[in-house]
Amino acid sequence: MTMARTLARRVAHGLVVLFATVTLAFVLDEVVPSDPARMVAGAQARAEDVEKVRRELGLDRPVGVRYARFLRRLVHVAGTSAEGHATCAAAGPLHLDLGKSYQKRLPVVTILAERVPRTLSLAFVAVLLQALLGTSLGVFAAKHRGKKRDRGTVGASLVATSAPTFMTGLLLQLVFAKVLGVLPLDGFGASFGDHVASIVLPALTLGLYGAALYTRLARDEMVTELGRDYVRTARAKGAGPARVVAHAFRNVLVPLVTLVGLDLGALVSGAAVTETLFRWPGLGQLAVEALLDRDGPVLMGTVLVTCAGVVFSSIFVDLAVHWLDPRARAEGPSRTRD
Amino acid sequence: MGSSRAAPPPDPLRGERSRRATRARTFLGRLSSMLAFASASLLATIFVPASLEGCHAGLDAPIPAASADDAPPRHGGTLRLSSFGAIRGLDPANIADGLVSTIHQLLFAGLLDFDERGEVVPRLAERFEVSPDGRSYRFFIKQNVLFHDGTELHADDVKRSIERALHPTAPNPYASFFAGIRGYDTFSKGKSDELSGVVVEGSYVVRIDLVEPDSTFLSLFAMQVLRPVCKSAGRRYDDGFVACGAGPFKLKPGGYVRGAEVALVRHDGYYEPGKPYLDGIVFTFGVNMSAARYKFSNGELDTLRDLTAGDLAAFQRDPRWAPLGAYDRERQIMGEALNTEIAPFDDVEVRRAVVAAIDRTHYELVKPSTLRAANQPIPPGTPGYDASVKGQEHDLAKALEHMKRAGYPYDPATNTGGYPHVIPYYTYRQGVSEYTAQVFQQEVAKIGLRLELRLVSYPTYLAQIGRRKKVPVGPWGWSEDYPDALDFLESLFHSKGIAEDDANNVSFYSSAEYDRLVDDAKRAIDPGRKKELVARAVAKVLDDAPFAFAYSVRFYEVHQPYVRGVRPHPVWARNVSFVWLDRKDEGRKAGLLAPMGGLARR
Repeated sequence: MTMARTLARRVAHGLVVLFATVTLAFVLDEVVPSDPARMVAGAQARAEDVEKVRRELGLDRPVGVRYARFLRRLVHVAGTSAEGHATCAAAGPLHLDLGKSYQKRLPVVTILAERVPRTLSLAFVAVLLQALLGTSLGVFAAKHRGKKRDRGTVGASLVATSAPTFMTGLLLQLVFAKVLGVLPLDGFGASFGDHVASIVLPALTLGLYGAALYTRLARDEMVTELGRDYVRTARAKGAGPARVVAHAFRNVLVPLVTLVGLDLGALVSGAAVTETLFRWPGLGQLAVEALLDRDGPVLMGTVLVTCAGVVFSSIFVDLAVHWLDPRARAEGPSRTRD
Repeated sequence: MGSSRAAPPPDPLRGERSRRATRARTFLGRLSSMLAFASASLLATIFVPASLEGCHAGLDAPIPAASADDAPPRHGGTLRLSSFGAIRGLDPANIADGLVSTIHQLLFAGLLDFDERGEVVPRLAERFEVSPDGRSYRFFIKQNVLFHDGTELHADDVKRSIERALHPTAPNPYASFFAGIRGYDTFSKGKSDELSGVVVEGSYVVRIDLVEPDSTFLSLFAMQVLRPVCKSAGRRYDDGFVACGAGPFKLKPGGYVRGAEVALVRHDGYYEPGKPYLDGIVFTFGVNMSAARYKFSNGELDTLRDLTAGDLAAFQRDPRWAPLGAYDRERQIMGEALNTEIAPFDDVEVRRAVVAAIDRTHYELVKPSTLRAANQPIPPGTPGYDASVKGQEHDLAKALEHMKRAGYPYDPATNTGGYPHVIPYYTYRQGVSEYTAQVFQQEVAKIGLRLELRLVSYPTYLAQIGRRKKVPVGPWGWSEDYPDALDFLESLFHSKGIAEDDANNVSFYSSAEYDRLVDDAKRAIDPGRKKELVARAVAKVLDDAPFAFAYSVRFYEVHQPYVRGVRPHPVWARNVSFVWLDRKDEGRKAGLLAPMGGLARR
């Protein structure tokens, strides 16, 4: 089976997972006892005004009709939607339509188009920080295994992973924004320079927490690799410490890349606490708002994006592992289990 | 002869036991090291941030003003405010959050407004007349009042704006408040294209006709919902409306970043000469309390409203800050809604027992800085509140007597008797409700009522409490929609507020006598007559006890000394329309490394 066919099969499976997840989310949204129309109209709105809002949002229709409507317009070809295209995002003839937010009264695709890049940028920077910092520390600890430097590194990683992210975030705000005054306290900023400055603290908050996991993984994997025969052979043949580490690190990459992929997938859903603390207008904050406000269309949108992020990051991990591990290439795609 | 004692036979397991012992010692050694690390980590996690925060305990000094207290207003500067929540939009035809009224007050001026005593006064109207029968209101609009787009306000703009807000296509949750306008019924059902009760009598005269007299109409009309909007808003509501009105400030181009910020600039064509004083105002949303406090002390925010209980107490105690803060008027009443259709609260004696059992001062303990004990349906800050009303009083002996009359005698000494069933009490995890629920549970336990607290999400709670025959008892309350006692009396207890779903009268209290009193009060043009009817309605609802009133809520705001002209308004929270800044510079207070250059924004 060629790589292309495997990839196509993984993508098809991913789409099935997406469909199932979105359907489950729709059902759960319906099952939870609440009233989105009341949330839109407000706690003090009169019954007739709530009813007007309910009709306007289409919430007076049976759930089956609403589900069919949702599916029919979710992905459609241009010109075929009975709903019109005011709330669509277009990629050529293919349109994606998640409807309009009950609360914000904007197309959901517009809201997502605003939020997803911000979450992605935070996720990428955070994962980069985690991976670089964690891996460096892990390799360092493995090289000095059993010594104080090893124990100190492991201890520090324990501290970082024990502290809740909001506490780390508050501490960073206090130190860098309030006391030292070198970074913005929160927000997204207006210019590109502002964005860069603003991303540092939230990325560091997530980075410190996640780096601990990378530290432990890298350390343990390196310790295992450094104890293997091929490393002993390399040393016997006169390879220096740096070359030995490079040899061993190549084998550590596979589990690390797996972790990077899974991490990215998780962070695409947004880190709600960190985003709220730093006023970073991302998907996590959006999802929490939508949940609390019972904003069904936005909730479905965030579920879709999150699920897509996880599915495609796992496909990426599979591809990366396949590329990194010669054994996987030699044995063919069948080695990668679906 | 020497000792020739034979050596013991070799222990075949000796080596194995030795290896096991070594492994066990190694394991225990590693375990103890891990535990030591874990403990050190935990302590570090707690102590390091606590120490850092402790180093910064105490309030920074206020940033002084440039001039003396009696200096005249000066123009210029940008006022910066923040809130933890966010607004949903800027269209007055779609108001559904409490925060936006502050911004609407700046963007949209109305024909009427409230003065600093809470009285309705003309604003964009020069004057108004009320017909003798109270059914017609004629407004004479000031000339040369300009919208933000430079066009002049005319009477047809008033009519257009009203129709735009009340049309069935507008998602206006307050539309039915204006059902008394003649022609609303057909207009709201889409059977008529225009609202016949709003009549343009000339370029600057508009008349509004009501179906019957309404003593609340002027207060309602002074609210922001029907305020004039620019011609660019069109005749019908549209989601793409860019806020444009006749208020003292206008929206800066690109100034509304949804969920993040609203930036306003001075409307140079504002009808009052020389006003406003500020160049602009910036609202930032989603700012948590600690960030807001940091920004306020750094001078990045000019006022502070979202305060933790500890910070609030600190600001009130500090003699430098105490004169710079003040509470808003209390315009919100909270308590326990007793469902008169579900046992045991379908029995008036049980309800009277509950209201007498509660010691309302215990509610204050939940959040002393914000909650104040209340025992009647009108909060102290709302017109119509009467401090001389006796209200619901705590009297445990009377409460027990009521329980006895209800057929559920209870002996506190032996904890026997009382209502035989456990009553579900629904509450939600938002604000203080989770904690006041526990107070209520303990208060009514003293009279033999056992509650089972059921914590649900706020949306679930809202859906359940308004549904008929669903929730026997739960927290409920009302925030002032418009400054009139009837807002509370009508919304909470009139039978019109009962519905199968979405009831506002969540006690499902229905009394023909009460309804008649409230309806008559609403129609009463004579203030004395209205006051008398309101008093009787209050007495009736206190006696029938469908609601155990518990506390009112108040909010505190503190400002920097250089923010001048700050006066708490009886209706509008954070009324900053005509404040001015008297600041030495616009710069930010520096952090330790800021002179070296930093990436921090102002």
